[in-house]
Amino acid sequence: MPKTIVIDPVTRLEGHLRAEVTVDAVNGENQVVDAKVSGTLFRGIEQMLIGRDPWEAAQLTQRICGVCPVPHGVVAAMALEKAAGSIIPDNARILRNLIMGANFIQSHILHFYHLALLDFIKGPPMSPWQPQWETEYRINDADSARLNKRYIEAIKAFRQVNEMTAIFSGRQPHAPALAPGGFTTVPTNDKIDLFRRYSQTVIDFVKNTYLPDVEFVATQYPEYNQIGKGYGNLIAFGAFDLNGAGGKSFFHGGRIVQGNGQVQPMNNDAINEHVASSWYENSTSKSHPVTSATQPVYPKDGAYSWIKAPRYENQAYETGPLARMTINGLYKQGVSVHDRHKARALETLKLAEALPVWLDELNVGSPVYSSYTAPTEAAGFALAEAPRGALGHWIGIAGGKIAHYQVLTPTCWNASPQDDDRQPGPMEKALLGAPVQDTDNPIEVLRVIHSFDPCLGCAVHVCRITRR
Amino acid sequence: MQISRRSFLQYCTFASASLGLGPSELIKLGQALAASKAPSVLWIQGAGCSGCTTSFLNYTSLMPPVDAADVLISLNLQYHPTLSGGAGRTVVETINAAENFILIIEGSIPTAFDGHTCIPWSDKGQDVSFFQAAQTLAARANQVIAIGTCAAYGGICAMGSNPTQAKGVGSALGIKPINIAGCPPHPDWIVGTLLPLFMGETVSLDNNGRPLFIYGQRVCDQCPYHRRGEARSYGVNGLCMEALNCQGRSTNAPCPTLQWNNGVNWCIAAGSPCLGCTEPTFPSSGSARRGGRGGQGRGFGRQGA
Repeated sequence: MPKTIVIDPVTRLEGHLRAEVTVDAVNGENQVVDAKVSGTLFRGIEQMLIGRDPWEAAQLTQRICGVCPVPHGVVAAMALEKAAGSIIPDNARILRNLIMGANFIQSHILHFYHLALLDFIKGPPMSPWQPQWETEYRINDADSARLNKRYIEAIKAFRQVNEMTAIFSGRQPHAPALAPGGFTTVPTNDKIDLFRRYSQTVIDFVKNTYLPDVEFVATQYPEYNQIGKGYGNLIAFGAFDLNGAGGKSFFHGGRIVQGNGQVQPMNNDAINEHVASSWYENSTSKSHPVTSATQPVYPKDGAYSWIKAPRYENQAYETGPLARMTINGLYKQGVSVHDRHKARALETLKLAEALPVWLDELNVGSPVYSSYTAPTEAAGFALAEAPRGALGHWIGIAGGKIAHYQVLTPTCWNASPQDDDRQPGPMEKALLGAPVQDTDNPIEVLRVIHSFDPCLGCAVHVCRITRR
Repeated sequence: MQISRRSFLQYCTFASASLGLGPSELIKLGQALAASKAPSVLWIQGAGCSGCTTSFLNYTSLMPPVDAADVLISLNLQYHPTLSGGAGRTVVETINAAENFILIIEGSIPTAFDGHTCIPWSDKGQDVSFFQAAQTLAARANQVIAIGTCAAYGGICAMGSNPTQAKGVGSALGIKPINIAGCPPHPDWIVGTLLPLFMGETVSLDNNGRPLFIYGQRVCDQCPYHRRGEARSYGVNGLCMEALNCQGRSTNAPCPTLQWNNGVNWCIAAGSPCLGCTEPTFPSSGSARRGGRGGQGRGFGRQGA
């Protein structure tokens, strides 16, 4: 007998997410046979930007996400610079890389310890960690106690990374130092030294605590090396410009199709957004973010989410640290729940070790800012990466004001609903086939969902109007 | 790990100067926290970005509680969407059963579409809008705290065309919460406001519902860069930012003295004008600002020169 389970709220993520899965016996094992993932928050930040001074985008778009504000601010500034054809000083490029790299690190630490870990262990014996679901946590009491201690230590590490970031960003979250034209904090030897000392602490934590803990959890739940595979389609836009000309990036963009190791080029013109399952006017479907409109329609047959469904050549792609690391040849193990955690942890170490190198490239005394004038009529876009994956901002300016703004976030890709061809979104696809032992406590569903690190605040299109 | 109520008390000794607590109040606080009748806390999120939660997690102090983990253990935080171990019906049951609690609301309350643009959970198959959840829980709470400028006044979620008709807690519910404004609020403001509440003390508020002991002074009046010569362009640190439309003159917050992220930096020290993020007008387009000399109707990020 198929049984439908609703998890609402899915906790331990940013924003609001609901999951509805149907479980049925397949070859004698209860499995997820259908999955629908809905975001349940719509803020309309893109619409609210229209009519505002273009300058404000680098500050206001950071408020899309309090966990990863820096990539939004950086990408908005890049889009504004592209619209004006302006070039930023090398110091600004490096400072942006430093605070964005640090922002990835804090997001990844928070994700593993505070958002995902309690799917695998019994948490501290008090609220808010209890009551947990009553299910089998396979990790023994001694190891759980050790990991609980790590949970607490990770709060300290998270805070320290934010302090390190703020040395240059001015404050975390929501970095005031990001402005079109460059950066506002002037690097001094004192600031560089302080950042370097923090970065060593961070490298130690990632190397000696985070990575071993991820490996340990993976050994205790080996079946999650197979569960949660999904399409195996991976996409990255690339990020961290290393030479100012945009020719060399720390992570390059690209695609991998159905787990095939061959990296294909990524051309953003091939992206469109489907709305068959989203509460938007069907005539707007399959449009590119540079022209796409957001026309809400309710009720609408067959729709169950207000996340649009971004597709590349009409195919669903997963984005995130696993996609970045695999496309860049830095991770070669596969696609699964644990692969997402492992690639995220390995990326954290790679970035943590890059920070001191970038720090050495700062030139004390050289400018961080070059005068920026917002154009009266122009358009621009920028593509980069956020902790959770590929991120793009598209801006149109008319009469000196923002006339068009579209943001394509990682969670729009990952948590998207079915598209016009009824292909499920990547997270929905990854849920299919996941075993569910206890339909009252379907912890397996949380494990798959959390492996994507969904951020519903970022999925700005997202909204769900109550079902009829 | 099980520190807490005692170390929380130790912290209060440290914090007593800024909070104006004497020894007898501290004893009272210790008793209040140790009593089984101590209130619990429900933290709910509406339309926002979780930045206030991130900021809270950045809390640090030389004395216990030394960080957010210590505070979490102390507070009997029954629900927090980002931190709760449970999910689905387990947490909804916890929320429904809560009594004798302080309600913390992060994020604004969307009121358009009958509240359906923000559904934080469903209960027995029915969607619960954030508007409904906030109304119901606020009516049952001992005290309501609006954390962040979205919850206090609408903030970012209510700017411009405001398609979801998002409102602050006070305006949406017709109540007078304690507003810990800021986008985000400093973690010390959050923890520092909770302390006196646990003692059953009344916190004096300004006209915008903000604790006076935090928001009593203008940024400009405490700013070390005031009258230090005016910056005419970004990329210069250590000067007054007023010509770049700094909002410090019309913004109440202790950022210049408290600073941010364990004191490593803050907006104006980073060569960036104050955005006025603790004010009901945030994010104003500049023209509505009070008394800004350099603004001339420009947006807050606009280069003045």
